[in-house]
Amino acid sequence: MPPPKTSKSEYIETDTGNKISRRSQIHGTQHIILGGKTVIQAEAVIRGDLFRGASTVDPNNPSTPPPSTPSVAINVGRYSYISKSAILRPPSRLHRGTHSFYPLKIGDHVFVGEGAVIEAAQLGNHVHVGKGAVVGSMAIIKDYAYVLDGAVVPPGMVVPSWCVVGGKPARIVGEVGEGYGVEGADGGLARERYRVVGRP
Amino acid sequence: MSRPFPYTFISCPCADTPVPDPARKRRSRESPQKQSPQKPAPRPSTSEGEKKGTTANEQRDEDDEDEQTFDPRSPRSDFSLYPPEQLLYCEECHQIKCSRCITEEIVSWYCPSCLFETPSSMVRGDGNRCGRNCFNCPVCTAPLAVSTIENATGNGTQQGPWVLSCAYCLWTTLDIGIKFDKPTNIRSQLQKMTDATPPAAFDRSRQASRTLDSLKHPLSSSASVEEHGNARERERDIEHPAPKEDPTAPPMGADAQFAALKNFYRAQIAETSNSPNDHLSSDFGFSSPGALNRLMSLYTSSSRLGGLYGGNKKAKSKPPVMREALTASEGLQIAPKNGEADIIARLASPDCGWEGVASLDQRKAQAPNARFVGDLLPLPVLLRTKRAKRCKSCKHILVKPETKPQSTRFRIRLIALSYIPLPTLCPLAFSSSSALPSMAPTPDLDSLSPLRPIHVLLTLKNHMFDPVRITLATPPVTPGRVATKVTVLSPQFEIGANSDVWDEALQGASATSSGDSKSAGLGQRGVPEAGKVWDKGRNWTTVVLEVVPGTLPGSSAEGGDGNPETTDEDVVAVAASRKDEDVLEIPVFVHMDWDADAQLDQQNLGKASKADDKVTRELAYWMVLGVGRIQASL
Repeated sequence: MPPPKTSKSEYIETDTGNKISRRSQIHGTQHIILGGKTVIQAEAVIRGDLFRGASTVDPNNPSTPPPSTPSVAINVGRYSYISKSAILRPPSRLHRGTHSFYPLKIGDHVFVGEGAVIEAAQLGNHVHVGKGAVVGSMAIIKDYAYVLDGAVVPPGMVVPSWCVVGGKPARIVGEVGEGYGVEGADGGLARERYRVVGRP
Repeated sequence: MSRPFPYTFISCPCADTPVPDPARKRRSRESPQKQSPQKPAPRPSTSEGEKKGTTANEQRDEDDEDEQTFDPRSPRSDFSLYPPEQLLYCEECHQIKCSRCITEEIVSWYCPSCLFETPSSMVRGDGNRCGRNCFNCPVCTAPLAVSTIENATGNGTQQGPWVLSCAYCLWTTLDIGIKFDKPTNIRSQLQKMTDATPPAAFDRSRQASRTLDSLKHPLSSSASVEEHGNARERERDIEHPAPKEDPTAPPMGADAQFAALKNFYRAQIAETSNSPNDHLSSDFGFSSPGALNRLMSLYTSSSRLGGLYGGNKKAKSKPPVMREALTASEGLQIAPKNGEADIIARLASPDCGWEGVASLDQRKAQAPNARFVGDLLPLPVLLRTKRAKRCKSCKHILVKPETKPQSTRFRIRLIALSYIPLPTLCPLAFSSSSALPSMAPTPDLDSLSPLRPIHVLLTLKNHMFDPVRITLATPPVTPGRVATKVTVLSPQFEIGANSDVWDEALQGASATSSGDSKSAGLGQRGVPEAGKVWDKGRNWTTVVLEVVPGTLPGSSAEGGDGNPETTDEDVVAVAASRKDEDVLEIPVFVHMDWDADAQLDQQNLGKASKADDKVTRELAYWMVLGVGRIQASL
C-alpha cells in the first residue's frame, strides 16, 4: 500500500539512528529507552506512560508520591523493528493488592509484526513476533524464539530459546533451525530491514 | 507455502538417495551446457497439459538420472527442501545435511516453563515432566499460575489456600475442588490429593460408585484368601446401595493404580520365577534382554529344545502360574456395574452439557477414565530436550549445544550457511511500468501477471573465507503445467571471500551504505544485461533472473476453456498437481567450487590440487526460488 505523500520524510531519524515514523503514537517518551537503530513504523502505539508508580491505582494512600527517578517503562534494544499498528504495552499484574506495571524489555534484532500486541515482560534477542500475534502480560520470550502469525501467547508463559510457538493459546509447535539468526538468513535480517526503512 | 514470497529453499542432496560422488560431479559439469540442449527437449507446452504427466513420466524413465531436473512440485521434493538456515554441513563428508541425514542425542532435559535442567536420572525415575510448580491448564494447555484465593490485602505475608489458575481460559483448580496449603511443591501436593485423599465429591463420584458386587469376573472363581476381604467389602457395598459419596472405597488414582499393579506383578514374577537370577524381576524390567530369555524358556521348557534356551531342568513339573490382581490394593479396579449407563446419563443431564464433556484433545493428556471437564487434572509441564546432532554416515558431531537450558550458544555448530552461499531473492522494479517513482515499484509477488516478464535479483552471499566460483543453471521452462520461462542472465560468476570480520566491522557502515546507494541507483536506472552480474560486493554477488510467468491452465489468458483434466490422468494426480499450481517456483541448480586449504586427513585431493596446500572443492545442489503467485488472468 503506498503511503500517503508527505512533504517531509516519513521517518524521524535520531542521533542513535532510530527511525521513528511521524505517524506513530508514542506516549511517555521519557520512560522509553531505544537502543539505537530501532524502527518504529506508522500507527505503532508505544505506551511509555504506563510505568510503575504514577499509574498505580492506590485509593488508600493517594498521597504517596511516585518515585522521583523516572522509571523505565519500555526498553528496546538495537535493530529492533516495530511494525505498523503494533502495540507495545508494559505488563502489569496485581501484586499485594495493588495493580502495578513492570518494565517491558525488548532485546536486539527483534521483529514485531504488524498489528501485534506485546505485553510481555521480556522479549529476548532475535525474537520474531508474527503479524497479529498477542503476547500476554508478563510472558517471557527468550532469545531466538519465533511467535507465529496470529498466535496468542498466554499471560505468564515462558517460551524457551529456539522454539516456535503458535496457536491460541500458543504452544510450542517446533524449533527453528540452528542457522536461525545468522546475519542475512531468516532471523538475521534486522540490519537489512533497518537499512531499507525510509529509503526513497 | 508457509513462507511469504520471495523465499528460497535448498534441496538436501540426500533426497535422490546415495548419489555417488563422481556422478554428481559429472552432472555438475554438464549443467552449464544444459540450458541450450535441453531447450527443444522434454517439456511440451501447457496446452497439451493433459498428456504432459505421462510424457514427463516416460521421459523420466528414459532419462539418465543425471539428466533430470529438479521438480519442486514432485511429492518427493517436499521432503528434501529446507530453508537454508535449517541445513547443516558435514565437514567430513563435504555435504549438506538435512534433518534426515543426522541422528540426535539428548544433551540435557529442561522444563520449558521454569527453564531448570532436570537430571536424566530423575527423568528416568519420575517421568519427563517438571517436578516443580509448572503446570499446564488441562482445558487449554496454557501455563497455570500459582495464586492465592485469599482476598489479598497487601499487608504482610499472604496466607491461605492457593490454587493453580489459568490466565487464558480462567480455569482454576477450584473448578475441580482442589486447593493447596502452600505455594511450593505443588506437584507432590497434587499427587497426594489425587491419589490418597477421598476426592472432591463431584468429580470422582463416578469412580466411587464402582460397586464391587459386580465382581463376576472369571478370576473370582480362582480366588483365594483375599477373596474373603473382597466378599466382606462386597456385602458392605450392597448394604449401602447409594455409593455416590462412599468414602470407604477410596478410588485409586491412575498413578497409584499403576504403581500398585507394577508392584504386584513384580512380586508375582519373583514368586513364580524358578531361577534366582531371573531378569524379569530385576530393576531392568521387561525390556531387558534377560526377559526375552525367560519368555523363551516359558514356551520351550516342555519341548526338547528347553535346554538350549536355559529353561529349567525339571521340565515335567508345571511351572507356577502367575495370577492376576485380585484386590484393590493390588491394583485391581472393577469397572462400575452400570458405569456406561451412568456416564450416558450424566452426558445427557442438563448440568453437564457440551461444555461439561472433556474433548478428545483434553482427554488424550489425562488418565484414561477422565471423561468430563470435572475430571481433568492440571498437567505437569512436559520437559524438552537440547540435542546434539551427528552426521548419520560418518558420526561426526555437527551440532552440540551447551547443556545449560538458558544458554543459546553452541560448542559445535556446523551450519550449511557457513559453507554454501546464502541465497536471497528480491524482485527488481519494473523498468517499463515506473508509474510510482516515489516508492520502489516492485511487482506484487502475490499476483504476478502471466506472460509479463519480470526481473528478479538473486543475491548469493558467501560466508567462507575463500572466494567461490558459482555456476547457476535452470531448466528453461519450469516443470509443471504452468510453463514459466526462466533465464539466468549471467549464470557464471564469482563471489568474493568473506574476509576478516574486523574489516566488515570497521568499514561496514560506509561500505554497505555506498553499496546500497549504488544498487538503489541501479535499481532505478540500470538495465539488466545478459552476461553481466548485476551488482557485486565484498562477499556477495547479485545476478538477474528474467522470468516470464506462464499462464495457468484454463485461465482467460490462455484463451482456452479450462478443461485440461478430462482425459487419462489420474484424478488424484490432477488434484495434487492443481494445488498451488499458480505458485511460481524456479528450480536452480547451483554448482560451486573453490580452492580450500588442503587438510591433512584429506584423501581425495590427488586430482585437483592446484597450489601447494590448496585443493579444489566443489559442491552442487538444487535450490528452489519461490518467486510469487501467478494471477489467473492477465
